[in-house]
Amino acid sequence: MPETELIQFSGIAIGSLLVFFYGGTFVVSLLILKKEENADGYMTAGNKVGFGISAASMTATWIWAASMYASATSGYTYGISGPIHYGFWGALMILFIYPFGRRIRSVAPKAHTLAEVMYARHGRSSQLMLAGSNVVGSLISLMSNFIAGGVLIGLLSPFNFIQGVFAIAGGVLLYTLWSGFRASALTDFVQVLGMLGAVAVLMPLIFFAAGFPAAFETGASNLTAQQSNFFSSDAFLNQGAPYIAAVLAYAIGNQTIAQRLFAVREDLIKPTFITATLGYGAMVIGVGMLGVLALYLNVDPVQGDPNNLIPQMAAQYLPIGLLAIFVLMIIGALSSTADSDLSALSSIAMADFYGQTVGKDNVNPKTMLLVGRATMVSATAAAVAFASMGLSILDLLVFVGALWGALVFPVIASFYWEKVTNKAFSVAVVVAVAIFLPVRFSWISMDGLVGPFFDILSVIGIGVVLGLMAFGFFGLRVGKIVGVAAAMISAPFSIGFLHDYATLSGSLVAYAVSTVICYLMSARSTESFDFALIRQRVGDFDEAEDPDNELARFGGGDPDPLAGGR
Amino acid sequence: METFLLTTYVLMWPVLVSIVLFVISRAFLREWAESRREGRPII
Repeated sequence: MPETELIQFSGIAIGSLLVFFYGGTFVVSLLILKKEENADGYMTAGNKVGFGISAASMTATWIWAASMYASATSGYTYGISGPIHYGFWGALMILFIYPFGRRIRSVAPKAHTLAEVMYARHGRSSQLMLAGSNVVGSLISLMSNFIAGGVLIGLLSPFNFIQGVFAIAGGVLLYTLWSGFRASALTDFVQVLGMLGAVAVLMPLIFFAAGFPAAFETGASNLTAQQSNFFSSDAFLNQGAPYIAAVLAYAIGNQTIAQRLFAVREDLIKPTFITATLGYGAMVIGVGMLGVLALYLNVDPVQGDPNNLIPQMAAQYLPIGLLAIFVLMIIGALSSTADSDLSALSSIAMADFYGQTVGKDNVNPKTMLLVGRATMVSATAAAVAFASMGLSILDLLVFVGALWGALVFPVIASFYWEKVTNKAFSVAVVVAVAIFLPVRFSWISMDGLVGPFFDILSVIGIGVVLGLMAFGFFGLRVGKIVGVAAAMISAPFSIGFLHDYATLSGSLVAYAVSTVICYLMSARSTESFDFALIRQRVGDFDEAEDPDNELARFGGGDPDPLAGGR
Repeated sequence: METFLLTTYVLMWPVLVSIVLFVISRAFLREWAESRREGRPII
């Protein structure tokens, strides 16, 4: 099929869509506006958000524009299994954090950030590693979403990329600034309603309008044997496997996930995470199917960029009214993630930088809120500036991914094993990142025994990843068995060639090195940490102004209003 | 048969999305009604 020109909205039309979307979300945020905002509410909504909002917020946050574009690209590149190898593993990131999340909440029920808990568990250096990686990760995510919005507006309207970036950034800041996480989570519900609703209705419409199911027969010759195969090894090795290695790293290292973990009512963690897993998976795989359909139809992406496939398919097969809804879906996806990143950044600045610097008992809640809001404005300005400069984020993203991979075992072990020390944590992470870099960027020759040496580390990394996943759900004994079995089974297939896949090998080496060092240094330590201390050290900053806590203080009722205390 | 399977494979995701949407919406409406009864903000 020849390359098509994308349909164009007029300036007034796209402006009206933006005003409708951001005006609407702003009005929603006004519904929960408080003249005197509570600092803890601004970060985690008082740790008692219900299932509906939490599940919606987790789903909306994890779905960003890039995930839909990447899923469709995977479908177009690898065929019918492509979207699965993107969306399924991405969904598992949410699922695999939940057993660890329950443990983290049980030892730190009133926390705001994971880094804050690390400070209570270990001290400054481990806190800064986690907080620093979160700040960089959220800034990158914020910038990517602004770029996606700028590109979309630039493609479909007379406005240019920069104008699009400013419109998206201003809109997101408008509704998030005053109420912080509370606004982010509530508007997430409205956005997820629109996004999921749009996929449920528009996907079947595009499917039939494009001539399917008949096109499955007429277009079958456009697919290679690998693309037609649901069990494609190409799709698994190039798309799925590197993603599996990243599953735990992105879940553990992401403050937007941690923030929702600390916000949801503790007894609702499991249903929230399971629902978000299903919601994310179905949505992202479903949209990714547009790439598969484009492959059957032999569509050439506009400007040769597969990222244009989604708007291209929508513009080709949807009438203008439904196309507008489709555009709103993309704007909703990127805005919901961007507002979560703003909330994550403000919480880190409030709890980790300001809160821990002056000390929990010396915090001025008003100053803390000011820090949070100033962070949102500064982060938006920085992300807009980076987006406008067209800064290459790939190397930064790789570095942050490695840092998160190196943090996985030390962070998880710190919540279960009383012998893990701050020194073991910090040394393990720093050494793991130092060894990751030359492997990932091929700075050293893999000739001779060097390659197999790193392959052995990678095999240990495979054991660590699968062992930790099993440990989360089934406990230490099963985790150890799965870890050892996975390493032994994968060894004959990995040693000798895995170092040729630098991305995968680098990630696995980071897992392995941090685990081995953290284990060896901790096993020899005499420390026996009392986990009850975390609950004492991490708590509300703004207790005096929280009406629920006022009730509790005077013995006037249950501090949890959902339990009927009022 | 293959066409039927492929059609099911592509269209099962919007169906799953609809189910998740229903579950989330129902929970939200219950929480909203509860918060109104108790006279407090939903979040």
